[in-house]
Amino acid sequence: MEEAIVLKPEVLGYFKSLPITNTLLVSWIVMVILIIIAFLAGRKAKLVPSGLQNLFELILDFGYTTVLDLAGSKKAKVFFPIVMTFFLYILFSNLLGLFPGFATITYHKEPLFRSMNSDLNMTLALALTSAVLTHGFAIYYLGIVDYLKKWFTLNPIFLFVGLLELVGEVTKVVSLSFRLFGNIFAGEVVLATVSRIFAFIVPLPFYFLEIIVGFVQAAVFMMLTLVFMVLLSEKHAAEH
Amino acid sequence: MEILKQFGIDPILLAAQVVNFLILLFILKKLLYKPLLGVLETRKNKIEESLKNAEEIEKRLNETGEREQEAILKSAKEGEKIIKEAGDSAAQIIEEAKKKYKDIVTRAAEDAKKLNEAEKVKLQQEIKDSVADFVVLALERITGKVLTQSQKKEILAKNINNYK
Repeated sequence: MEEAIVLKPEVLGYFKSLPITNTLLVSWIVMVILIIIAFLAGRKAKLVPSGLQNLFELILDFGYTTVLDLAGSKKAKVFFPIVMTFFLYILFSNLLGLFPGFATITYHKEPLFRSMNSDLNMTLALALTSAVLTHGFAIYYLGIVDYLKKWFTLNPIFLFVGLLELVGEVTKVVSLSFRLFGNIFAGEVVLATVSRIFAFIVPLPFYFLEIIVGFVQAAVFMMLTLVFMVLLSEKHAAEH
Repeated sequence: MEILKQFGIDPILLAAQVVNFLILLFILKKLLYKPLLGVLETRKNKIEESLKNAEEIEKRLNETGEREQEAILKSAKEGEKIIKEAGDSAAQIIEEAKKKYKDIVTRAAEDAKKLNEAEKVKLQQEIKDSVADFVVLALERITGKVLTQSQKKEILAKNINNYK
């Protein structure tokens, strides 16, 4: 197995014109796992919780309180599912990427599985979704006029500031996607390198580190999306 | 955009991932968020209600305790009063009984005295009679004559006066 650092995801095959990459395959696996777990946890939601319901109540309650604190009760109901889905999707794919078999099982000389977020396609898609939803909510809550006023005003100084902020919106997408991609991709490379030095025991601390990184990145993506949504959908203070 | 090519960015893949996310969002919302948040809300409400109920129960318990205390105090006071009254009436009854007892005793003593007197008189009469008979008989023997009624009476009267 040649160990070159490959940024591109490996294409396993084509379904019509859709290239099935190994990261896309993993994203589907993550989806299936999440849906099954969600089904099991929420199937018979009881007042006295047990097992999986307990765990997810803990996660959801924590997430919902956070969203509620930042967004207020009206917007929290709308923001929460999106933000929580980002969190769960990213968390599960990051953790799944640490399982054995990733990058080692090959299919036509290409690794069959590859951690989902070590592909910029996936993270960029998530970041774009986040950005589009954020701006969509901003327009929905502010109205198109107030929304445009955020960026364009007649005051030349504020016009300039507005344009800068518009650039900032693009930067947000880039930073969201590259942060996630960079962290996970770097983790993959580190794990591969360390494993090549000595495959037993030595990589363990790095695996531990990657578990933390996987969780932190998911949380960061979730929190940033939430904060952006809240900030953009709030009325611009008239006086700066 | 050379850099995008290097990272292997493919619009179709981007779209696929966006679709993935939206599907996941929809399904998780339906399967996970809605039921669990609903349960959390219901539980919260239930706990709030129970706490309120508990507070009310405690309040009512306190009230009942106070009322109980009051009732106990009241009945204790009443009991004291009753005991006092009973003591008073008992003393009265005893007093009355003493009085009655004294009356009875005095009356009995008087009766006894009267009876004694009557007995005495009767006895004296009897003695008088028998003494008279005896004197008459003795005179007859001594004088040898039968006394007339008037004589008898005269002698008797004399003797009895002496006897007295």
